[in-house]
Amino acid sequence: MTRTMFHATAMALAVAGSTAGADEIRVLNWQGYGTDADWAVAAFTQATGHTVVHEYFNSEQEMLTKLRTNPGAYDVVLINAAFTPQAQAEGLIGPIDTAKIANLADVPADLTGNADLNAGGALHGVPWTWGLTSFAVNTTAFDTLPTSIEVFWDPAHAGKVSIRDDALEAIQFAAIATGQDINDIADLDAVRDKLAALMPQIRTYWGSENDWNQFMAAGDLDVATFWSGSASRSMESGLPVQFIVPEEGAIGWLDGLSIPASSTRTDAAHAFIDWMIDPEFYVRWAAEGAPASANAKAAAALPEDAFNKRVLGDPEVVARVQFQRPVPDETREAYLALWQELKAAQ
Amino acid sequence: MNGRFLTIAGRIWLGAILVFLYAPILIMALMSFNASPFYQLPFEFSTRWYQALGANAEIREAALRSVLIALVTTTIATVLGTAASIALFRYEFPGKQALRILLFPPIAIPWLITGTAMLIFFFGIGMGRGTPAVIIGHVALALPYVIVVVSARLATFDATLEDAARALGAGPWMVTRRVTLPWIAPGIIAGALFAFAVSFDQFVVSYFLSEPGDATLPVLIYTAIRKGFTPEINAVSTIIIVVSMLVMLIAARYSKFGGER
Amino acid sequence: MSAALAPRDRLRLLGLLTPAYLWLTVAIFLPLSAMLFFSLLSDVPFGDAPWHVTADNYLAFFQTTTYAKLLWKSIKLGLMVTLACVLVGYPCAYVLAKTIRGRAREALFLLVILPFWSNSLVRIFSWAIVLRGNGVLEVGLNAILPFEVDVNLMFSTPAIVIGLVHSYLPYVILTSYLALQAIDDSLIDAARSMGAGKLTILRRIVLPLSLPGLVAGAVLVFVPVVGSFMEPRILGGRVGTYYGTVIEDQFVAVFNWPLGAALSFILLAVVLLILAVTSPVLRRAQA
Repeated sequence: MTRTMFHATAMALAVAGSTAGADEIRVLNWQGYGTDADWAVAAFTQATGHTVVHEYFNSEQEMLTKLRTNPGAYDVVLINAAFTPQAQAEGLIGPIDTAKIANLADVPADLTGNADLNAGGALHGVPWTWGLTSFAVNTTAFDTLPTSIEVFWDPAHAGKVSIRDDALEAIQFAAIATGQDINDIADLDAVRDKLAALMPQIRTYWGSENDWNQFMAAGDLDVATFWSGSASRSMESGLPVQFIVPEEGAIGWLDGLSIPASSTRTDAAHAFIDWMIDPEFYVRWAAEGAPASANAKAAAALPEDAFNKRVLGDPEVVARVQFQRPVPDETREAYLALWQELKAAQ
Repeated sequence: MNGRFLTIAGRIWLGAILVFLYAPILIMALMSFNASPFYQLPFEFSTRWYQALGANAEIREAALRSVLIALVTTTIATVLGTAASIALFRYEFPGKQALRILLFPPIAIPWLITGTAMLIFFFGIGMGRGTPAVIIGHVALALPYVIVVVSARLATFDATLEDAARALGAGPWMVTRRVTLPWIAPGIIAGALFAFAVSFDQFVVSYFLSEPGDATLPVLIYTAIRKGFTPEINAVSTIIIVVSMLVMLIAARYSKFGGER
Repeated sequence: MSAALAPRDRLRLLGLLTPAYLWLTVAIFLPLSAMLFFSLLSDVPFGDAPWHVTADNYLAFFQTTTYAKLLWKSIKLGLMVTLACVLVGYPCAYVLAKTIRGRAREALFLLVILPFWSNSLVRIFSWAIVLRGNGVLEVGLNAILPFEVDVNLMFSTPAIVIGLVHSYLPYVILTSYLALQAIDDSLIDAARSMGAGKLTILRRIVLPLSLPGLVAGAVLVFVPVVGSFMEPRILGGRVGTYYGTVIEDQFVAVFNWPLGAALSFILLAVVLLILAVTSPVLRRAQA
């Protein structure tokens, strides 16, 4: 009798424990961008009991649309810091409870204090990863690796050049090539001329990491703009490419993890974000090819020859980086009009 | 002699077109057996993508879900579309031309815009997302194709046959079932095949309207092209094509739908 | 038939039409009406963004030459692809409908549509593997030809046309087949016995009688091709910017749905105008 009672109580406790603590959280992110790694999700579920379901977006605009039209559907969302103020202003994301994210203590103050992530006067996005938009070259096409962005305009590589089909990225790239501030382009005509001169060099635009890898693998390209995290993955998978941060500089970006204001499972969401900036998670992710971690301890834990330590860990390189700030809608539309005009002329 | 020459030339033409239609399908199948994840040549035989597929429950479930959604869509769209085509053919009424013209917006406006419109509208009326919403969207996109194709067949139909059957005392249902439907059967079959294709290849609407974790195969493929578009996708596509081919050949063996004569 | 239907016929008409059109209304016409409304706004009315009614989005089409230039490029592409589909597909449908009999015809009918069931993105990527330099086409041709050829069609307008023709050819073949198969052979035999030549039979009997099918197929090709952006982007590379691309950008790159919607409705209007202009010509050809 007592034994049965004991069993029943124990079982009830166990059931209560698992239901009270176990939530299914929904994460909105780019596909294959860290949060959805099988092993990472499995480890999180094992440690906390929470399960994770992913949904993906293919552009920042789409991510914002999904947040707007599906309140309550998501618990964690990846937002580029340049978009965080907009998401915050629209009331799409809520403030982060920093007390619930232990690993935040290891994130340097310049990142936790980032003005964009602290839109609205409180932290709305946990600094997660950062990286560069620069370019990579096919090492079989070069005897000595280029050090200048001017390689894109080199007639020797005509028809073997590619940039991403993205107005903002194209224009900021040309801003760097013309020695301007990417966040405050004073001479847009110079940018237009620089891009117009680039157009005949271009073989095709690329749209995704997948495109990029296939074009490189097929030998269609010598040099193309690329993201640092993606470049480390491509090198990892054996493509003969090398990521370059030219003397003119590169575009930097910072990705944060945010919690939608409409989320009802914020405890689990905070726990997941905490795991995402954990050094243990990062070291394993970096081995598969990842951008740089915002967590100083995680970055330090990388092996010496790791891409992110070798390239992005160099203060000389970091000094040349211009970090992306939010872009007002009108500017974005003006850039798009310019980019479309250039593309339509082809 | 001349006629015989034309017949042979015709068959060669048909054969050449089949080669053209199947060339990329064949490449797709070959690449599913190629070891390179970047579709690199030279070809190196490997079954690794099929093994990966075996371990990838997500992609298998998505494929199955897509087939089911396409079957439901095809059934509904074919029935509704055929009924509407018969009505448009048989009766004269004001506004008929307008109804025909209304079939074009869903075809002409890029699916991205229609999909976005559905998303905000379904959100606005509180229906939200999920498989029912996906099916509603798919049927709507497939309907115009069914109506246009069935109407094209109906245009060849001699309406006096219906009158004759009526004169012989057949009721409207009897006329439809015994006279009209057998004649337009090839059109209905073609319409159904198109409806299946529209649904099975539709990613925008599914993408916007499906619940997370309930992705269809095109949605997986569409999101995968950003990063991990591996030959696994070729493998699953190859399996689907081979299975459909078998089903179709069996269907061709046991039924006659290409039209009498 | 008179304009006023008998009450019973009216009921039947409603019974047959209502389900399909009600469905279309809920799932397409009402959502698109919302888009039409958006196209007249200054901003998307989400959250508390201020907005007002304006015709600016439509005027934007005329303020630069970019849109008109690309629309014309897209229409040319649509005509090119449609013409290619008709020239390639119609004879094929004729062979299938008139010279092949029995089970073989049934099987071929299905084989023509089967490629359609494969995923369009996978298909386009497969074309890329075929068409690129050192790709399947070049390697294959060099293996059978006695001389070296250099074939790199990738990232060119021909590549776009090949990919699109491949995607849309089944429409023309099958709709033409449906109409051709319906032509009574005895009609053709009668004409022949009266001394009509092959061309005369084709021009005076076969073509007019099968025109509804051919036209339906051509419309199903032309209309979506004018708005396409996926195939041109992947296969066209630098020359692959079309009108569909700039519409897509308004939704994907910037959050400017009003402009994107306005551009879409301009596309729709132009497409309908083209259909309206061509339909009397076609009707006369049929009579």
